[in-house]
Amino acid sequence: MKHQPLVTAAIAVATTLALAACGGAQDDSSGGGGFTAEPAEGGTVHVLQNADFSYLDPARGWDGGVNNFYRLVYRQLTTSAPGSSEDPTEIVPDLAESLGEASDDGLTWTYTLKDGIKFDNGDPITSAEVKFGISRAWDPEIGIGSPYLKQVIDAPEGYEGPYKTGDLPTIETPDDKTIVFHLIKPFPEFDAVLSQVNATPFPVDSGAGDEFIHKIIASGPYKLAEYVPGSTIKLERNENWDPETDDVRAAKPDGWEFTIGLDPATIDERLIAGQGADVNAISGNIQPATLPRLQTPQLKERVLEFPGICTTYMGLNTTKEHLDDVRVRQAISYAIDRTTIVNASGGTQLGAPATTILPTSVAGHKDFDLYPSQDGTGDVEAAKKLLDEAGLADGFTLTLDIRSQESMQAQGEAVQQALERVGITVELNLIDTSTYYETIGTPSQQHDAAITGWCPDWASSAATFLPPLFDGRNIYEKGNGNLAQINDPEINKRIDEIGAMTDSDAANEQWGDLDEQILELAPVVPLMVAKTVLLPGENVAGLYSSANAATGGIDYVGVGLKDPEKG
Amino acid sequence: MTSFPTDLTTAQPVEAGTDDTPEAPAAAAAGALRSGAGGTWQALRHDVGAMLGLGYIVLVTLVAILAPVLTSISGWTPYEFDQTAIDPNLGGMPIGPWGGVSAEHWFGVEPGSGRDIFARIVYGARVSMSIALSATLLTTVLGVSLGLMAGYFGGRVDLVISRVMDFLMAFPALIFMIAVLSALPAGNRSALLVVVISVFGWPYLARIVRGQTMSLAQREFVEAARAAGASGTRIVFREILPNLRSTIIVMSTLAVPGYIGTEAGLSFLGVGVVPPAPSWGQMISASVKWYAVDPAYFVVPGVCLFLLVLSFTVLGDRLRAVVDAQEGR
Amino acid sequence: MPRFLLSRVTSGLGVLLLVCLFTYLVFFALSPDPAVQICGKNCTPELIDQIRGNLGLDQPFWTQFVQFVVGIFAGRTYGEGVSAVDCAAPCLGYSFQSSQAVWDMIVQRLPVSATVAVGAAVLWLLAGLAGGLLSAVKEGTFADRFITGLTLTSMSIPNYVLALVLQYVLVVKLQWLPFPQAVPFADDPVQWFLNFVMPWMVLAIGYAAAYTRLTRANVLDVLRENYVRTAFAKGLPPSLVWRRHALRPALTPVVTIFGMDFAGLLGGALITETVFGINGVGKMAADSIARNDQPVIMGVTLLAGFLVVVGNIVVDVVYTTIDPRVRVNA
Repeated sequence: MKHQPLVTAAIAVATTLALAACGGAQDDSSGGGGFTAEPAEGGTVHVLQNADFSYLDPARGWDGGVNNFYRLVYRQLTTSAPGSSEDPTEIVPDLAESLGEASDDGLTWTYTLKDGIKFDNGDPITSAEVKFGISRAWDPEIGIGSPYLKQVIDAPEGYEGPYKTGDLPTIETPDDKTIVFHLIKPFPEFDAVLSQVNATPFPVDSGAGDEFIHKIIASGPYKLAEYVPGSTIKLERNENWDPETDDVRAAKPDGWEFTIGLDPATIDERLIAGQGADVNAISGNIQPATLPRLQTPQLKERVLEFPGICTTYMGLNTTKEHLDDVRVRQAISYAIDRTTIVNASGGTQLGAPATTILPTSVAGHKDFDLYPSQDGTGDVEAAKKLLDEAGLADGFTLTLDIRSQESMQAQGEAVQQALERVGITVELNLIDTSTYYETIGTPSQQHDAAITGWCPDWASSAATFLPPLFDGRNIYEKGNGNLAQINDPEINKRIDEIGAMTDSDAANEQWGDLDEQILELAPVVPLMVAKTVLLPGENVAGLYSSANAATGGIDYVGVGLKDPEKG
Repeated sequence: MTSFPTDLTTAQPVEAGTDDTPEAPAAAAAGALRSGAGGTWQALRHDVGAMLGLGYIVLVTLVAILAPVLTSISGWTPYEFDQTAIDPNLGGMPIGPWGGVSAEHWFGVEPGSGRDIFARIVYGARVSMSIALSATLLTTVLGVSLGLMAGYFGGRVDLVISRVMDFLMAFPALIFMIAVLSALPAGNRSALLVVVISVFGWPYLARIVRGQTMSLAQREFVEAARAAGASGTRIVFREILPNLRSTIIVMSTLAVPGYIGTEAGLSFLGVGVVPPAPSWGQMISASVKWYAVDPAYFVVPGVCLFLLVLSFTVLGDRLRAVVDAQEGR
Repeated sequence: MPRFLLSRVTSGLGVLLLVCLFTYLVFFALSPDPAVQICGKNCTPELIDQIRGNLGLDQPFWTQFVQFVVGIFAGRTYGEGVSAVDCAAPCLGYSFQSSQAVWDMIVQRLPVSATVAVGAAVLWLLAGLAGGLLSAVKEGTFADRFITGLTLTSMSIPNYVLALVLQYVLVVKLQWLPFPQAVPFADDPVQWFLNFVMPWMVLAIGYAAAYTRLTRANVLDVLRENYVRTAFAKGLPPSLVWRRHALRPALTPVVTIFGMDFAGLLGGALITETVFGINGVGKMAADSIARNDQPVIMGVTLLAGFLVVVGNIVVDVVYTTIDPRVRVNA
């Protein structure tokens, strides 16, 4: 089952989950906002954002915000299809002529490079540069981004990247155009691994130390014109990028300007006002308080909605007293009130209740609700009955870790209220934003439960969703993703079996079944899927979402201006 | 030295500057201070501003003490969600005019959760007042005792205490307070807030107490006590401290609004009390995002806080004027 | 004079060293392991140990502290080999989160903070002096009471509330001003002014109120002095009495306070910059706190302490110059 992000141009009065999920075709006509109109050549697109990008170096950075930015300046052997294509989660060739050719045993993958591909300094990109760029992922200090290259590609024991160790012999470059990878074990989705941002080519011997922190070597349609950390990034055209070699990036505007460090409320105010150059501006999700202001016809027309691809969930630490009893976890699953959680997170326009781990827009999603209740407000009776069976009729106290950030606090308070109904007292343990993931990812510091979220690294399968969260063999002392610390032989076995399947459609169906199988044990409680609601400037066009490249936000590569003279 | 919490709030005892500078005589006619509380009260009673301020302070204090009674009358606890009072389709905005004001919710409800604002204001008064008053108490104790010690004993004691004061006053307190509060476990935030505020607050009082003590220590009645063989401690507590009473009362009253503002500001910056506990600062912080669509949500805690700060400032200001007049300045 | 200056500088340095030690100690005790933060998402215990070794984080506290202080004067190098980073003097530390020397980050943003501080200072000095003088001259009249009421009110409004109200009225509703951004003066003086005027107002209002009260109190004090009364009684022209006898002593305390306030603000107006999203030192500090970027927080704390200490010394010097009555150790 292929899924397609829906582009709705107007706010539907009551957007239902089903509608948002399987709406089908891209709808050009509705609302008349012309988001998907073909942009004209030229002009500068402005991006208003709160937080600075993590790193300009793709071996270091790896998150929703920066991955999308990388797509403007970097290319890889493969990449995600543009947001405007029929299936934006599809992996397509980029620097490579075609997708990889796997050997019969699935261990050797061969790619051939296109002609005419160059860096921004005019030097050609050959297999040596591709290999060099990929080998940077093994550097202990630089390769802190996406882990998949290191997990999948075979490398000598103790290899520490090109600067410390040197050449990576397991990637072969028989000639300038050909590159051959050897894998540790068969990985049918290897094309997706090479679309990860840290597979970006760089000139041999460049990028040591902090070289790519403030300046970069671009391979995409734009290069860095100006960078003031925490303040602005300006991109200008890379004249050495040949559009003939690139089927993914339309790259209509002449430049991009990112304004960083703006207060989220100020961003919304500017977008609503739409003064001056702000007609050419786009930004991330709007604030809940902005929603009621978008009810005028002019503003309604400018609202752009995408379904979310990240699940917000509450992990239940199965090693703790009471929570080691499946009945208690199921009772909590019954007692949770998803209506209050969605409302606390901005209401039905910004979030949809989730009863499954895989969100609707990730391939493999299966629709089910193991712990149903009237209007999703929770089944108090069922929960009490289970607690009674577990000998906890009088309830107990649990500590919930939450990030000291407003929306997550609100979610924590909603969970607290819901569980109080069945006699469970929830104590909120506030953890500073900057140390939150570190703390809950350290089992020795983790409490009974924690609210967090997960997004897929590629949405064409659940391979980056279920295994990291539920594989019992991946419980680490630090940086642990399996918050429930569940180690169930059945689940582990299924993860291996499905991961080895080469038929992706069949694999996706089974991922959906596994989702249900996992939730029967209730190691986590899915809470909601946050939706994306945007208010692009009125002169911006070519707005499509991409689950892979933009984590469900606007795919920058298709964006441009309707009238480049404006603003 | 005026701007204790850098640009957080300027309600800090700015006027302290007058006494602070070498220009002002450190303790003008301290003997006159003995005129007693009765006279001060007589003078204040006829001051409309001071009385209004005092009235509001008493009201807020009563509300804080009676919070459980008041919420049992209004029918909502500060933590209960009311999903019927908000509109899930509009970002969780309260239904109805004035932020959802109704017979059910007297001051409206909080967007997103539908929690009762009246209940949260009432309980928030508890948090805000108790933090500000505890901080004032702690600062006063610290400031007075250290100021007395520095002023009376002089020498090395004075040197050490004065250096510590210099150091604390040169310290960018706001940045530091936020950094420390966000790094420490949030377990007992209220106590932490009091401690952190007090640590950076006491030198402002201590400086003045020190100056006045130094000048009082030279006066005849102290000399006489010393000649009569009174111990240092006895002189400090029996002879000097009573003479500082007015100064301490005035300075403390003027410090309260600063601490209320600091607590609110720290809550505004996200390092205040732990949810779901309400404080006025936390409420303002949560409401600023909604000020354009739900101004009532912003106005209620904003006005409550503003009036409380104003009341303390006016009261302190008048108190000072009366005391100054009694001193014959 | 040089001796006095020397002793002030020495004690100032002492205070700074204390600030430094205290900050370092607190962050050493409180902060999560910086090595873990640098290590990123796919960390292993071995990698953490390696980073700790590279950065000297495995050294005892005093060694690390001495290294830090020496680095301020002599610069230092973090790590070794290909991944070494240089931090030239004055090295206030190195932010591994933004891969920049803290000093460079501060220098980049200091002009913005200075612009905010200078503009606000001009505003509040003008308003404060004028308001205070007027209030004192018209003591007891309606104008005096009005000004007093206004100052008490402005002192009671939290400036983040004021900032948002102003922004809503002036930018959103009336559209008289743009959403503030740090436009360089050289680019467009008019836009520069329009962008900064709101932050200036917000920052200045509390100080203006305080200065009004201070000026008023001082002027009234001086007017009650015998020598001023005598001067008026002698029949000297009032303007001369004001200039020569009243204003100068009345305003010297204002200078003292101003020096320290201004110095403190140069290091960044945290709330104002944060609320308006102006990328000055204050906003950088707030952002760094949110990200737990410990070296930056320490750097900004030190800078702010340094500015206050320098401000104090400057004030003392200016003070002895303009008011000869003040003896150095008074």
